[in-house]
Amino acid sequence: MPTGGVAHSGLMTETQPTPQPAAPARRSLSPRARWAVPAVAAVAVGAAVMGPPLFASAGDDGLPPVTPEELVAKVVEKDAPALSGTVVYTARLGLPSIPFGPGGASADPVNLMSGSSTLRLWSDGEQRSRVALLGAASEYSVVHDGDEAWTYSSDDDEVVHYTVDPADAATLEKLATEGPAVKGDLPTPQDAAEQALAHAQELSTVSVDGQTTVAGRDAYQLVVTPKSTTTLVGRVVVAVDATEWTPLRVQVWSASDDTEPALEVGFTDVSFATPSDSVLTFSPPAGAQVREVVVPLPTEAEIAAAEQEHTDGALPQGVTVHGEGWDTVVELSGVDVTGALAGDPKALAELEEHEPTIGSDSAQALLEDFGGDPSDKADMGEIDPSALLDSIAKPVPGGRVVTSDLFSVLLTDDGRVLVGAVSPETLQGLA
Amino acid sequence: MSHADAAPTAAPSGVTTTSAAVATAAPPLRPVRGAFGRLLRSELRLVLGRRRNLVLLTGLGAVPLLLGLVVFFTRDTAMAGEGPGFIGRVTENGLFLVVASVFVCLPFLLPLTVGIASGDAIAGEASTGTLRYLLVTPVGRSRLLVVKAIGALAFVAAAVLAIAVVGLVAGALLFGLRDVVLLSGDTVPLAAGALRVAGIVAFVGLSMTGLVAVGLFFSTLTEVPVGAMAATVVVAIVSGVLDTLPALDAIRPGLLTHHWLDFAELLRISPDWGVVLGGLGVQAAWVAVFASLAWARFTTADVSS
Repeated sequence: MPTGGVAHSGLMTETQPTPQPAAPARRSLSPRARWAVPAVAAVAVGAAVMGPPLFASAGDDGLPPVTPEELVAKVVEKDAPALSGTVVYTARLGLPSIPFGPGGASADPVNLMSGSSTLRLWSDGEQRSRVALLGAASEYSVVHDGDEAWTYSSDDDEVVHYTVDPADAATLEKLATEGPAVKGDLPTPQDAAEQALAHAQELSTVSVDGQTTVAGRDAYQLVVTPKSTTTLVGRVVVAVDATEWTPLRVQVWSASDDTEPALEVGFTDVSFATPSDSVLTFSPPAGAQVREVVVPLPTEAEIAAAEQEHTDGALPQGVTVHGEGWDTVVELSGVDVTGALAGDPKALAELEEHEPTIGSDSAQALLEDFGGDPSDKADMGEIDPSALLDSIAKPVPGGRVVTSDLFSVLLTDDGRVLVGAVSPETLQGLA
Repeated sequence: MSHADAAPTAAPSGVTTTSAAVATAAPPLRPVRGAFGRLLRSELRLVLGRRRNLVLLTGLGAVPLLLGLVVFFTRDTAMAGEGPGFIGRVTENGLFLVVASVFVCLPFLLPLTVGIASGDAIAGEASTGTLRYLLVTPVGRSRLLVVKAIGALAFVAAAVLAIAVVGLVAGALLFGLRDVVLLSGDTVPLAAGALRVAGIVAFVGLSMTGLVAVGLFFSTLTEVPVGAMAATVVVAIVSGVLDTLPALDAIRPGLLTHHWLDFAELLRISPDWGVVLGGLGVQAAWVAVFASLAWARFTTADVSS
């Protein structure tokens, strides 16, 4: 290695010739002591990783006791606070893994069906918010800004701009000030928990089960346990912040698995400060294709009719409900299952409208929130629907069945679909 | 072999084992002022001037050039914008050629570079028989290891910079530089965007430090540099494979390669510095463990060649 030699030879003139030159300058450490150094380093690294959780769980029992009623009331009366934070959503539904193609790590709402996703959330507590679904090198953002909304997908550089028809804007303003408030569809733990709490009382046992720490904040745990023993849902646990009275985490536990929640959405990091304006506004980037969608508002007559229908408990045509509460099974007839899976917006919109629950209201709300508009789901179009169906649905006598830890779906050969948070056998019995 | 010039000044038998050296009451070495700097300078000259390494740097620099030309000539075809990661954004803004090139080089080319630089550090000297003469000069083993580590790090930094600089120049010439559209869809001014891209380059460079430490450790285990280089690359690839297994969810965040793609965080509207620092923290942990392993091994090993 001639070059090396030349390079290093300059050193020779500087050093003193010594008979035993390789002796270390400091001979304080024996070989054994030297090998202890990496061991200590490894232990230190281990302690740094394990330490904070142990420390955090040590001192979280200082909260005054509350009854479930007090806790629910606090949550309901508290306005949505301004906040920003990171939300991790994990689904362990026990569904067979679905081959969604190369987009596995990309920010596509469809990935919310299984595995773990990270969302980032900013909200001023009122009309403006941003939710971003993070992929490895991509992002899907939903920005609500007053009466307009934007979605942006970094994968295909497409912007969708939702606005209200100018003629309807006045109506909307009127509704916002005096009528029923038009609620945004954010996938926040708040919305999910409010629905779960409202649903809970009559068919479930509600209790406050100790305290926990979520995202470094003290929280009460509200546990909703179904009175029914035949449902697949074991319990729903909502962690409520002890000072801001805002839900921080929702877990849905399956009755069959007591080690990990089947669905979990919660903050891993949260701060209750108003986010900056730059985050809450959006303007489409130059060069991106912008798709304009004008959302029509229902006329007052339509609203009245819908309310009437709602109070009457009348069901849309083709929908039958069996059982009640947690054991509710919804039967849809005449649904184009293959069409819905292929992402045909029409078939899907129909399905979505009729499908009241996947396991629980909260879970359903979360799933819906990310596919709020059917056009987003059209992205699934590249998948061969029949192959997809084959891969997740097992054939049974009279149809095919999709099983998971929280809900079952039975697709009968005569075009009916039965959905419920019950075992597939129960569905077959009803069909 | 001018390293051999050092031989007459020392009795080679006295350095064949550390224990022998330690047992002998050597006169305390008077530190020579500037010796460390001189050694470091010569090591850097050696590493950055070696023909093999220059060829490697040229090859890495060719990646953004090739990528840019391909995108440039296909931008009006049906295949425009198709490709991994950030390729689709390159035509709109040449700055993204830097990001796309780094993204393309991350899985294999950069680990390979790290493997070559760090795997060769000690084992290369050992295989050519120059290691013991280096130690006779006299250079403390810890000091030599530090110099070798800095040399390897400098080469990795040069590699990342080569990709970035060629990417920037090629991107600017082929596509021009504009305000940067973030992954969130928001637009930031060119200066702020360039700062973010510089941050990405720095993050990627620092993400390699863990692997440098691993390679340095392997390099102290063997006298066959190719073995240490290959082992280092294998570690990066195995780590990447393990990172795709959902069954390993519990340990994945600690894997060497898990946070490499977190550089995308710098392209989000409001970067979460916890994520960025977390990724660097994992690298620091790997450096702490493997650099100390390398040190323990190198300062206790028998150096016979």
